[in-house]
Amino acid sequence: MARTRRGVQVAFLVFFLVLFVKARYPYTGGLPSDILLRFSPLLPLFNFIADLKISMLLWPGLAILALTPFLGRFFCGWICPLGTTLDAASHLVKSPQNPQSQRWTKLHPLKFVLLAASVLLAVFSVHIWGLLDPLSIMNRALTVVIYPLTTLVAEFSLLKAASLPVLETPAYAVYDWFKAVLMPEQQARLQQVFWVALFFGAILGLEKLSRRFWCRYLCPAGALLGFLAQFRVFERVVGPACPDCAKCYQGCKMGAIPEADVGLADKVECIECFGCSEMCPPKVSAITYRWSRKPYHSSIDYSRRHFLQTTLGSFAALGLLSIGIRNKDANTRLIRPPGSLPENKFLDKCIHCLECVRICQSNGACLQPDGIHSSILELWAPVAVMRTGYCEYNCNLCGQVCPTEAILPLSLEQKQHTPMGLAYFDKDLCIPFAKSEDCIVCEEHCPTPDKAIKLDPKETILPDGTVKLVKYPYVVEELCIGCGICETKCPLTGTAGIFVTTENQIRPTSQDIIGSSAASA
Amino acid sequence: MKRDEFLKTAAGGLLGLVGTTPTLLRGLLTPSPPDAVWVENGEPVELIRAALEAMGGIERFVSRGDVVVVKPNMGFDRPPQAAATTNPDLVVEVIRQCFHAGAKQVKVFDRTCNNPLRCYQNSQIEAQAKAAGAKVTQVRTQRFVNKAIRHGVTLTEWPIYRDYLDADKVINVPIAKHHNLCRVTLGLKNLMGAMGGERGTIHSGFSQKLIDITAEILPTLTIIDAYRVLTANGPSGGSLNDVRELRTLIISPCTVTADYLGTQLFDISPTSIGYLREALRRNLNQYDLNTLNLKRISLS
Repeated sequence: MARTRRGVQVAFLVFFLVLFVKARYPYTGGLPSDILLRFSPLLPLFNFIADLKISMLLWPGLAILALTPFLGRFFCGWICPLGTTLDAASHLVKSPQNPQSQRWTKLHPLKFVLLAASVLLAVFSVHIWGLLDPLSIMNRALTVVIYPLTTLVAEFSLLKAASLPVLETPAYAVYDWFKAVLMPEQQARLQQVFWVALFFGAILGLEKLSRRFWCRYLCPAGALLGFLAQFRVFERVVGPACPDCAKCYQGCKMGAIPEADVGLADKVECIECFGCSEMCPPKVSAITYRWSRKPYHSSIDYSRRHFLQTTLGSFAALGLLSIGIRNKDANTRLIRPPGSLPENKFLDKCIHCLECVRICQSNGACLQPDGIHSSILELWAPVAVMRTGYCEYNCNLCGQVCPTEAILPLSLEQKQHTPMGLAYFDKDLCIPFAKSEDCIVCEEHCPTPDKAIKLDPKETILPDGTVKLVKYPYVVEELCIGCGICETKCPLTGTAGIFVTTENQIRPTSQDIIGSSAASA
Repeated sequence: MKRDEFLKTAAGGLLGLVGTTPTLLRGLLTPSPPDAVWVENGEPVELIRAALEAMGGIERFVSRGDVVVVKPNMGFDRPPQAAATTNPDLVVEVIRQCFHAGAKQVKVFDRTCNNPLRCYQNSQIEAQAKAAGAKVTQVRTQRFVNKAIRHGVTLTEWPIYRDYLDADKVINVPIAKHHNLCRVTLGLKNLMGAMGGERGTIHSGFSQKLIDITAEILPTLTIIDAYRVLTANGPSGGSLNDVRELRTLIISPCTVTADYLGTQLFDISPTSIGYLREALRRNLNQYDLNTLNLKRISLS
């Protein structure tokens, strides 16, 4: 069984990676790339809190929730790609056995604290749990850190190898394959990369303290599944042959087997990895598993006092979040992906998985993980940074892969009529205004069929008295969709002479209400 | 030299002379090919075939074993109908002709303005050129090399794509488009697709900078695609209302000459175009434009 489980784990991790790599242009349907993100057991719960209805879009997560009361935390042991990564990491850092990591077990309530706090905050429309969702964490790390790093290492080493005459042909062959099949995009360069790496690295690093530290003590998804698994009817049975060698107690990766009685297993903690039967000495093989009609009960390690503390803490957090600054300056540049719900609703729904950033055609230039401006809720939500990249006119992929439809899946035509913002000139910087020289780069690139940037040729008197005809650009508000290509392509070295603000942006509440003519597709 | 050796050499020489006589005679008898050809009223493939035939065949420009770069305009994420990118049928026929002349390899690339994967695909050039046997590759940032500009007015060097510089022959296949800075974009402007660096900075003092660089990298042959012409909102376009079907093609070994003729597509005076004025001022034109040997062909 343990071998099968390992195979399934690897299969799901590979599946996750394949979906991740496939999330790019041309994204022509088939299996939706966000499907594994919708396996998150937290998603249906929090989506229900936000909308008060059950979304069938989240069927994979609902299925996990429905099966857990009978099967236990099989999701953690078999499916979760973060769990699999942690299993791999524990081999790397040589996690201690349970007797050595015993002292951490008092942290067991922590994951319930995080879950309960997440629920309490979500009731008050503060959705912070996405930062802690295991699938979201995995996808975020892949998008911001692992994929760009792999690109860097692969390209650098292959090109270096290709510079050696002997290796030139094979290295370029591998490189070409790489750039055609695996990583066709240019190097992605994302902001917040250090902090996302630190967050992910810390979760992996905790393996040094105990195996599956994250899953045992921190993961809110693990807490929810553990809560549901209390009464599971699938049981581990230790036969009379058991010599009480305690090997299963020592090695259990969740620490679910009590030292006092190896015949029991904590249903809240056990993730059905079947590792114990593998650890049981081969000549004994005392451990079997079966469906049991009279299941025993393991209670969750979360007391009324804990709940009281959680409630107080959550309300304190809520209060602090409510009295934080409302930074209007930051709002100017808070440009969300096209088709994003109105900001409050958007932040309710966004799980910070950054799948939109992953698939963005600018590849790590336009859509970026946001930092904190006014509140922590903005952290690692997608934001368009248009000086480094622009929103591709003929692309609507971000909305297609959003697992929660925080970004609505607009048709291309709808997207082209949903302004993300409006461009303004900074006439102190813009070349024709500042230097009386023609430039027109912004007008040249403006993608709307009737250009939103037009030129007004006017005569101007230079300091030396000569008269010069200069083409002065201006923005037509009705035509501008705030795609930001003008800002990206502005030839000034530093700050651009044109920039997009959130003015004039449209944040639709549903797909149906966008320009009825455009909604047909 | 010994006698038998002399005889051998003489016999060989004589044979060679006899063998090449027809070619020599044909060369003497046929009139020299025109400086440029203007073909109208045809489909892209017919246009280029007629034009090349009138130019004396592709063999005049491409030799056996050559590595040829065919440089279309794939700069924007638009379908061919929008006339923002070179006609794919035309590009494919040029590639076929190169192989027909014995080219060892034909490379196709462009440094695009929009997302390169999208541009390559939606211009329909990538798939069709690959099918025709060309090597179509994305532009890689590390493959630009600094090219010294010997007679530059404002620039002393600029990064140029290595494949472009290393090619034996370059065939420049721009599409004729409206452009608000330089009024029209034709052959010289299309060479910007081989340029690296911050191209946006070329736009201030555009005429001088463009001619500074292009003077160093003039192609073997320039073919202006005017099958569909973008007349407004260029160079990106996007509205079919701005597209006019002229069913025309201009070809010349001299890019300046081709561009000079290209201005006639838009009914504007060549001297109203800054970069063309600059190119003529520096005598970059191979032919005297007042006594230009232009052949006009109209297909039925």
